[in-house]
Amino acid sequence: MFVNQIKRVPPIAVPIILAVIVVFLPQLGLSLPNQRQVLLIGFLTLLVSGLNLSLGYAGELALGQPAIYATGAYVAGYMGVHGETDIFLQILAAIGAALFVGLLTGIPGLRLGNWSLAMTSFFLVLLIPDIVQIFQNQTGGAIGLAGIMPPTAFGTQLTNYGYYLVCVLSVIVWLAFMRNLVTSRHGIALRVLRQSPVLASSLGISVFRTKVTAYALGAVPAGVAGALFANLDHYIAPTEFDFALAVTILAASILGGATSVYGAIIGAVIMQLGPLESTSFQNDALIFYGLLLIVGGVLLANGLTGIATNAWSRWVLKRGPVSRSVHISPDFQFPPMSGASLEVHSISKSFGGNKALRDVSMTAERGKVTALIGPNGSGKTTLLNMICGFYKTDAGSITIDGHQIDGRRPSEIARQGLARTFQMPMIPAGITVSDVVLSGRYTPERLSIGSAVLRLPKYWRVHRHDRERIDDILEIVGLTDLKDEEAVKLSLGTRRLLEIARALVSEPRVILLDESASGLDEDEVARLALLISRIRDAGGSVILVEHNFRLVLSLADTIHVLAQGEIIASGAPAEIEINPRVLKEYLGVKEKDIEEAAAIIEADTTGQQR
Amino acid sequence: MTLIWSALTIGAVYALVATGYNIVFTASGAFNFAHASLMMLGVFIAYWGLNVAKLPVIVVFLIAGGIVFIVGALEERVAIRPVRNPEALLVTTVGVATLIDGATQRIWGPSPLEVPFFGSNQVVTIFGGRVLPDELWILGFTIVVVGVLMLLSRRTMVGLAMLAIAENREAAQLRGINVRRIAWGAFAFSGLLAGLAGPIIGPQTFASATLASSIALYGFVALAIGGFGSLPGGLIGGFVVGLAQEYAARYWGSTYSDIAVFALLLIVLLLKPNGLFGRINERAV
Repeated sequence: MFVNQIKRVPPIAVPIILAVIVVFLPQLGLSLPNQRQVLLIGFLTLLVSGLNLSLGYAGELALGQPAIYATGAYVAGYMGVHGETDIFLQILAAIGAALFVGLLTGIPGLRLGNWSLAMTSFFLVLLIPDIVQIFQNQTGGAIGLAGIMPPTAFGTQLTNYGYYLVCVLSVIVWLAFMRNLVTSRHGIALRVLRQSPVLASSLGISVFRTKVTAYALGAVPAGVAGALFANLDHYIAPTEFDFALAVTILAASILGGATSVYGAIIGAVIMQLGPLESTSFQNDALIFYGLLLIVGGVLLANGLTGIATNAWSRWVLKRGPVSRSVHISPDFQFPPMSGASLEVHSISKSFGGNKALRDVSMTAERGKVTALIGPNGSGKTTLLNMICGFYKTDAGSITIDGHQIDGRRPSEIARQGLARTFQMPMIPAGITVSDVVLSGRYTPERLSIGSAVLRLPKYWRVHRHDRERIDDILEIVGLTDLKDEEAVKLSLGTRRLLEIARALVSEPRVILLDESASGLDEDEVARLALLISRIRDAGGSVILVEHNFRLVLSLADTIHVLAQGEIIASGAPAEIEINPRVLKEYLGVKEKDIEEAAAIIEADTTGQQR
Repeated sequence: MTLIWSALTIGAVYALVATGYNIVFTASGAFNFAHASLMMLGVFIAYWGLNVAKLPVIVVFLIAGGIVFIVGALEERVAIRPVRNPEALLVTTVGVATLIDGATQRIWGPSPLEVPFFGSNQVVTIFGGRVLPDELWILGFTIVVVGVLMLLSRRTMVGLAMLAIAENREAAQLRGINVRRIAWGAFAFSGLLAGLAGPIIGPQTFASATLASSIALYGFVALAIGGFGSLPGGLIGGFVVGLAQEYAARYWGSTYSDIAVFALLLIVLLLKPNGLFGRINERAV
């Protein structure tokens, strides 16, 4: 079957074939005006691709691409006018300038999130004429910068084809870098971050730094495009870089699909050959773009690329909803874990006049399961949020193996070895099961963006480790069969297991399970209990926040009971289950029911031991 | 003092943009990038009504307010409500702004048009500064709008409902607040204000196709200085932006006025990202 043959073609083959064709187009007799057209598409592709990195992957709209483009063009143009004609040197200088402008707007712009980056970067576009005017001796002012000398490479002047080649290869190299970046763990980190900053920081991903990095990296191709553009006509004018260009770039991004690598090409081709070509269209350009942005924003989830990918997975790969169940074999062992002790020293927290926690102390030791129970509103979640760094403590301290963690950012605490799951599982949409687990590998083994983009030996080493660990853990939790499925489509119980897998793969020193048993059926609870006891046996430290009293009694080594912001009892399960205050406040049990409850629990634990 | 008056006047225009952002932001959590374009549309309608159709002033106000009211309501229906992913609002509101900008350019052309003032042009002197009556109108209109809105937001059910939505959307819904209708109303109402502002700000700003993108930015700076969601903050922020712009232009030259505002924005975002009147919310899981 034709369809089966298509399936066997590796997806990377298509862009490679396309790249080779474009490189040899002039040899195949493409006319000069049409070569120019290809180059303009290439420049637009670079601009759109940079925007995609911040809008599609980091979720931040940047309207300032024209300003970065202008920066690159003026830097290269200034060098060209003053005899520094080596195009590679110009590109490097343009990249430096672009990164500088990117950081200058990115750092303040990303402080507030949402719209402030769009606005600070958009402001740059408005400033272009002013800045060009102020430096008119260097930039030629409003008339434009003329007299840029023809580009050279390694001392010889570039031929037309040489220049064409430099431009096309720049685009290809950038797209290869971009692809390498977004398919690496950094790409997963960006997608996690975009959907949930809270989840990202619990995985050790610094929200602010990652967003700034994505946005600043997105400035690089715009700077390169500027340097190349300055050498196209040997003349640049400030009017090229205006609001209309910003909207064109945005429209191309939305049309091609912002969360994709190659969508930028599709968007750029359509914009360059369609709207930007026809002169009669100029008057109505804004109206058309406006409509396109509205329709695209409302209807297209990820542009034309998104439509194509959906069709591909629906008709060629025949993917449907997932409804397989999960099996765990009971005879597995975790490799030894290096658990740490987490200590909470008399912390307090109040919100306004409401004292959420008063003088709370507890300890979770290595190789032990420490449970935290308490009725709703008792302060469990507040305590969790303080341990994870989402709230600041009013008084007291929290330490992991003696290292103070209170007052640190959530991502730093995660890097100290604290991993957690969530009451409502936080699983980003559009990511496969194995990639969800991969997102947990961000902390234990570091990998720089540089190694990921250039695919250095370090990348492959880390990549191999990641794969091994992920396969092992998926095997243990019984999700191996599901590893290529989209994770959000799984059932609640399976998602909870997946979250535990994600936490475990980060080689945590303390693992914090937030109401992992709620919403699970009896089989699933049994599986969960087995997992937890095996983590303990391997030497991990587990903190269990739970409503399932029976599960807690059967699993925990120590139980802390929280009520109205205070620890009302601490001790072994045997002490807690007969503590009258616990029974009254937490369970609401009357005296005569106590014996009955104890009997049930006993039956339960003996049942499990068999 | 003359400089201060003109700075406050231009600042008041930015404060109006910030107020429009705030109304919609409080009621629906959306940032309406197109609000400045709505105001520009009001100015163009004022130009048409006063200069081309020569209609009575009151009729011009009614037409401008009415049309922009409808455009605002349409915007919510077409570009806000159907959008599932809040991130996509960034794109659709830019789309609405671009569409309005393109349409006004198509109808009225790219060059700035003068909007006549409906009152006298007799210069008056207040506190030793010379000021035109149309400037006083802008100042007065802005202060009254902000003042009334502050009262309304505390004293009426709709205002309280909006505050409730800003605090917690789901909880507000559970208390029987029709979140969708309030968001729709907020867009329409901010449109009404933008339309009514048209004939008032027009004599100062001119009906120009580039008006929207610049006041969209200055309005945003005003908002950032004052803090998202704060009405008095937006007013003061607007004045600060106006003063920075006028003083920079006066002492360093007009090419520096935008750069001064940009520097102001960067400094505020770095040092006080929640603005002067903004609140800090602790996040919870």
